[in-house]
Amino acid sequence: MIELRRAGAVVLLFLGVGVGLHLLLEPLRNAGLPAMVKAMTLGAGLALAVLGIIGGFLISRVPKERIDSVAAHLENMVRRGTVGMAISETEADALGRLGHAVNRYLAFVKEEVEQSHLEAKEWQIQMKVLDAEKRHIEAVIGAISDGVVVTDAFGDLVLANAAAENLFGFKFDPAARRPIEEAITDSSFLALVNDMREAGVLVPHRTIEWIQGAGEQARTWRVILNTVVESKKHDRISGVVTVLHDVTKEKEIARMKSDFVSNVSHELKAPLASIRAYTEMLVEGEARNETEAKEYLHVVASETDRMTRLIENILNLSRLESGLVPVNKADLAVTEILRDVADVMTPQAVQKHIRLEADLSPVFFRVHGDRDMLYQAVLNVVSNAIKYTPEGGQVRISTYLEDGAVVVEVADTGYGIPQEDAAKVFEKFYRSRHSAKSAKGTGLGLALVKHVVDVVHGGRVALESNVGKGSIFRLYLPAVR
Amino acid sequence: MACKILVADDEIAITNVVARKLQNAGLETIVAGDGQEAYELASAERPDFIITDLQMPGMNGLELCTRLAAELPVPIPTILLTAKGFEIDRASLAHLPILQVMTKPFSPNELLASVKEALGLCAGK
Repeated sequence: MIELRRAGAVVLLFLGVGVGLHLLLEPLRNAGLPAMVKAMTLGAGLALAVLGIIGGFLISRVPKERIDSVAAHLENMVRRGTVGMAISETEADALGRLGHAVNRYLAFVKEEVEQSHLEAKEWQIQMKVLDAEKRHIEAVIGAISDGVVVTDAFGDLVLANAAAENLFGFKFDPAARRPIEEAITDSSFLALVNDMREAGVLVPHRTIEWIQGAGEQARTWRVILNTVVESKKHDRISGVVTVLHDVTKEKEIARMKSDFVSNVSHELKAPLASIRAYTEMLVEGEARNETEAKEYLHVVASETDRMTRLIENILNLSRLESGLVPVNKADLAVTEILRDVADVMTPQAVQKHIRLEADLSPVFFRVHGDRDMLYQAVLNVVSNAIKYTPEGGQVRISTYLEDGAVVVEVADTGYGIPQEDAAKVFEKFYRSRHSAKSAKGTGLGLALVKHVVDVVHGGRVALESNVGKGSIFRLYLPAVR
Repeated sequence: MACKILVADDEIAITNVVARKLQNAGLETIVAGDGQEAYELASAERPDFIITDLQMPGMNGLELCTRLAAELPVPIPTILLTAKGFEIDRASLAHLPILQVMTKPFSPNELLASVKEALGLCAGK
């Protein structure tokens, strides 16, 4: 009976110490230090097992009351979840000696556990800081408007930001690594990235212009590829970072500028050709008489004027846009401006057998604006209407009030403007293929109109057009009440 | 029989000066103000030679040459007189009877010399 109780006490001793340790070490294990904790648990277990064997032998010789008190003490420690003195060391018997050894060991374990607690806390803080930094970096990369695609040494997708997702139409999943080919299907782009990876350390950096899509939807990207080389392994790359910057607009502007220069040169060459040819005729004595010589000189003079006008137009818009032209605003009657424009344009309309109608309201709508600029803007619209209307057609100028704006309307029965060009006709240098065929121009007239109405007067321009039927241009200017 | 030369340009000043230069050299001229008119005149009058602008409203100079080359039994030798000289794709001229691309501004003397050279037979008659 006594033997059985003692055995029970031994079991209790191990259980107590084991559970106590377990309770203490559990938070450490959760804190992410499994290796260290496991080692400690294992060590503690082994030590306890050895102690247990000795303990069991000694306990079998110890009075029941002493064992009961030790058991109670251990129970108490388990309940409190503490590590400390388990057995009174004052007794000089075998249990006392065991107690001394166990207590020394427990003191050692306690110190180790406390130390681990501190280290774990430190690690936890560091991990939180690292995690926050990682998320911050991801947020920064995500916020970049350029597309960013990162692949590793095996061509697996490591990172892609929102811009890249939109660009290629896929969803990047940071949890699932997959080959870039599974996310991005554009073979020409894949070739760029794969070539870079295959070139390895030989080519650390490359910038390529890459065109995505074709036709009207085509976009031009400046693709900047960089290989990532780990500092320790100089001989091979660990990945490729690809940044895609949209240069479609820049390319378009460059193309328009080049077209503009070409157009202007062509327009300047036309009068220059006449001046050159007629001058040579005069020098060579090709004029048959005085009248013919005068006629030649007259051509030279008028072509010189034409050239001057063209150059003036280019400079005007350039000065206007750069803000070099002073704006002189005053309250003025729109109707008067329209009447002046109609008067000036009538000879040109008559020459083309076009009926130019000025249906002007008897009410004098007033706007606060620069008379010269508004006159030039309306003149450009009316002049265009006459230019792009075939002989025998009609151009009608009218004005009315709508939603607090004075509307200047110029309607023609001309060639009309195709839908795809309608949005672009106000852009500088833009000339639709259609307009280039039917009449000459520099692509500056409507750009000036838009600048004067939008920027200088805070109004807006609108276009309604039907190919083959005609166009209606409307200039909305804030009315003075 | 004097050689008949068609001059096509949408700039009246240019057609006038070219026609006058050629007439002074004893050549007969017909004048067109755009591509369509030039096409109709060439089809009806069968000139010996054509001097045409490239950029004209409606039908341009190349379209004019292409249509005439396709429709007439005997090709009419042509000089392109244009401000866009170096922008023309030379390969597109390969199948056309275009002898020369002369760029504006041009010298009427040089133009006449080119025409005379091309029309050696006709001018000698």
